[in-house]
Amino acid sequence: MALTRRQLLKYSGLGFLGAVVFAGCRIPEQEFIAESPVMIPEDLVRGDDAYYATLARPSTGVESVLVRVMQGRAKKIEGNPDYPMSRGKHSAQAEATLQELYHPDRIATPLRRVGERGSGEFESVSWSEALDELARRLEDHRGVPDAVAIVTEPLRGALGTIVDRFAENYGARRYSFEAVDQTVVRTVFNRIYGQERLPTFDIQNAHYVLSFGADFLSHWHAPLHYNWHYGEFRGETGGRGKLVQIEPRFSLTAANADKWVYINPGTEGILALAIAKAILDSGEGVEDAALAAFINNNAQDAATVADLTGVKADVIETLAHDFAANQPGVAIGGGLAAAQTNGLFNMTAVYALNALVGNVGKKGGVTFNPPAPVPNVVSSASANSLTDFQRLADDIRHGAVTAVLVHGVDPAHGTPGSMQFGRALRENAEFVASFSNFMDETTLQADLVLPDMASLESWGSDVPDPGPGYEAVALQQPVVMPFVEGRAFGDVLLALVEELGGSMTRQMPWDTMEAANRSLAQEIWIKNRGSVRSFDSFEEFWVAILQRGGWWDTNATGGAPQAPDVSQDPGSAFPSFTGAAGDYPFHLLPFPSHSMGDGSDAHLPWLQATPDPITTAVWSTWVEVNPRDAESMDVREGDVVNVESPQGSIEAQVYVNPATAPGTVSVPMGQGHSSFGRYAEGGDRNLMAVLDAVSAETTGAFAWGATRVRLAKTGRRERVRKFEGMVVAQTLPHRPVYVISTGNGNGGAH
Amino acid sequence: MAVERKWGMAVDADKCTGCQACVVACQSENNIPVNEPDHFLQRRAIQWIRIERYWEGEFPDVRARFVPMLCQHCENAPCESVCPVFATYHNNEGLNVQVYNRCIGTRFCANNDPWNVRFFNFWEPVWPETLRNQLNTDVSVRSRGIMEKCTFCIQRIRRTTRDAGLEGREVTDGDVVPACVQACPTNALVFGDLNDHDSQVAHLREDGRQYRILDHLGTEPSVYYMAKIDPYAAEGEHA
Repeated sequence: MALTRRQLLKYSGLGFLGAVVFAGCRIPEQEFIAESPVMIPEDLVRGDDAYYATLARPSTGVESVLVRVMQGRAKKIEGNPDYPMSRGKHSAQAEATLQELYHPDRIATPLRRVGERGSGEFESVSWSEALDELARRLEDHRGVPDAVAIVTEPLRGALGTIVDRFAENYGARRYSFEAVDQTVVRTVFNRIYGQERLPTFDIQNAHYVLSFGADFLSHWHAPLHYNWHYGEFRGETGGRGKLVQIEPRFSLTAANADKWVYINPGTEGILALAIAKAILDSGEGVEDAALAAFINNNAQDAATVADLTGVKADVIETLAHDFAANQPGVAIGGGLAAAQTNGLFNMTAVYALNALVGNVGKKGGVTFNPPAPVPNVVSSASANSLTDFQRLADDIRHGAVTAVLVHGVDPAHGTPGSMQFGRALRENAEFVASFSNFMDETTLQADLVLPDMASLESWGSDVPDPGPGYEAVALQQPVVMPFVEGRAFGDVLLALVEELGGSMTRQMPWDTMEAANRSLAQEIWIKNRGSVRSFDSFEEFWVAILQRGGWWDTNATGGAPQAPDVSQDPGSAFPSFTGAAGDYPFHLLPFPSHSMGDGSDAHLPWLQATPDPITTAVWSTWVEVNPRDAESMDVREGDVVNVESPQGSIEAQVYVNPATAPGTVSVPMGQGHSSFGRYAEGGDRNLMAVLDAVSAETTGAFAWGATRVRLAKTGRRERVRKFEGMVVAQTLPHRPVYVISTGNGNGGAH
Repeated sequence: MAVERKWGMAVDADKCTGCQACVVACQSENNIPVNEPDHFLQRRAIQWIRIERYWEGEFPDVRARFVPMLCQHCENAPCESVCPVFATYHNNEGLNVQVYNRCIGTRFCANNDPWNVRFFNFWEPVWPETLRNQLNTDVSVRSRGIMEKCTFCIQRIRRTTRDAGLEGREVTDGDVVPACVQACPTNALVFGDLNDHDSQVAHLREDGRQYRILDHLGTEPSVYYMAKIDPYAAEGEHA
């Protein structure tokens, strides 16, 4: 029967009336529950689950997690409530490692190259064939010293030990790669405070945090841990702390700061010294003649500082007074402030501030981390500098390095385009083996691919760096059966040890990664102290330590620091930039993508679809431009522009950002993969093509903040993929969506 | 018989950093399909909890304000009364519940939802075969043509209640933790029983900074927000 429009409306009206009457009768809740067709499916509880403690290894750092497993499948990642660096919390990045496990583009078997390098033509081979070939190739290269390079992510724990010992005994060069390295901060803590490991900033107990460029809420050092600290810092119990972020870019930490102070790029050290000088002159600093001499010798006069930094003299006075008066407080430096040619000077000045107010080694200040509780386990894995990688690329080109083994990193994507790292592998290397479980740009150049296990399938351990301020070891266990025919990198190296023999067998007496980690745990068991102890048998201890996700001893702290030593030359106070200001009018302020970091998590769809907190942009590379700059260039949101430096250019969509400083533009790292699975591939918008391969003075670290650019219009427009505007804003006059309180009981509404 | 529960949430805007951990945790727990690039362009991306970012001012006096937004589970929910098939109703624990089997996709509820926290499935949700292994077996995958929304992780409420029953104990404050609350690294989100006067969420409801979004509509939301503190905000600027 066909309904007329009138009939439809009539029947709908009757139905609605019935619905109202029905609702008015208040049908008892039980009736809904009694009738299964009207139950919501979530009313039914099915099956039993199990939770296992293990480690997730996203780009934001290793996290101890609990994994919910049902019927042999990992379902959900949750923070380990016991582990001191996690406290039951986990990051978006850790959550997304589930998608790494079940990714449709995981490499399922070992592969041997059959086509040209870079063509992506591989054949599937068995593990025994792959291992035989790897052993044969390594045997071939063994005679020539330093002809083999092993490149991995910074590795700690048992795997770090195995790779280090393997490289040493085989005679291979050992490189650790981080696209955004922490070399400068590490060097400064080593120089001033004699520390090998990264410190932990006790933000939780600080009353005042003065951060120079360290985006610790997004992607700097241990963001999950510092987010937790931040929550406590904002808590009511100890009074609400104050956070001041000094940075040229409006980062996530700047967005959450009580005050964001714009500073001209690279002049953070000059400002830090001006603050130090003001504290010194007011007599509020600790007495230390060497420190005072360092400050007096290097500080500029007030007018010069204001001119160079762009920070007004009265603001500097206020910062100095507030920092000295609100102790315990802590000065933190990193990120863009360290990624300059004068990064060493900047960081030396910032971290000397802590010594000046006497907060080093104290509650609410800088806390040092002790070495690993077990000797010979790697607890601090510093990455090699950009200079080291430039030399490596040159050595590959000149034939000094003939074979390269790569695990866990993608230097072909993550190094500046001018270094031509991928091309050196493609054209000059005799043998390239990759242990990646994804076909990233470096793996694409490989002759042999031996896919690693996902972190949820593997044995492992970690000594967190930075740590909680006391001894801690985290343990990783397989929580599901391997989903593909992968084999753990450590297990492959241990199998090679047997093949290659010699002194290696004595150095690495373990058959498997599980055995290596058990051996590590055995040494902890013998100590009989800390969070897991008093077990008569090792087997009981082993089960207990795996259940808790690790071991830690709150009494084994980093100890008293040495007196600050600022005697070493910090280098020039002034930054230099690639590109003349006349031709390249904008300072480029790059940043690791909030969700995908340097791009090593770009293959995970949840993270691609996670909005950038500031712009809300997703799945793209964009360039943030100040509204007035946009107006003067006549560009608007979505205009595709070429971001051009003397080194190269990429296309990016304009995002007009009210918080971008005039004369600067910001572009996220992480996109532009030519090969990395279906979710990452597409486009050539890798920021590394634009950045100059310029190293910081002395440390050789990558000065990724030292490039100037210009924007050239392409005449094309693309709508920006972003979350902003997805739903209609509900802001109505006098009807607040958010309310601001000034903290003294007065609030206002928006 | 014990007093009925009324589940609610407190959101401390002063602690929220906008980190998005809650957003991804929710997507993982609740089988929300991957939001592909086109979904954003079509404004059809699904996020049961989202972080709204509001701009204030211009450089250099610029501020970004983050507001986590999710279904407010209103006591007088305007979305419930308009559903012609009772697919959405209020249960006796204060939850605004969606019965997917009943929903016929009129979208009246979304139309009547002032917070825009109800989502229509414009497509059949699709995952590559391997990624389906991750799907939570406690949560149904919603098919094309029906509405979905935040459930306060009702599957966790049910499981916890069942487990407590098997152990012969009452559900106590902190036992039920939705995925977003569990992930939140700064503890900006707190969940609990508003009828339990000793619960953390009930205490936060009495906080001086407490407010509810669009409170003037009289829908009695169960999500309470704590105002962002900004000591540098000028007096009068925010009136």
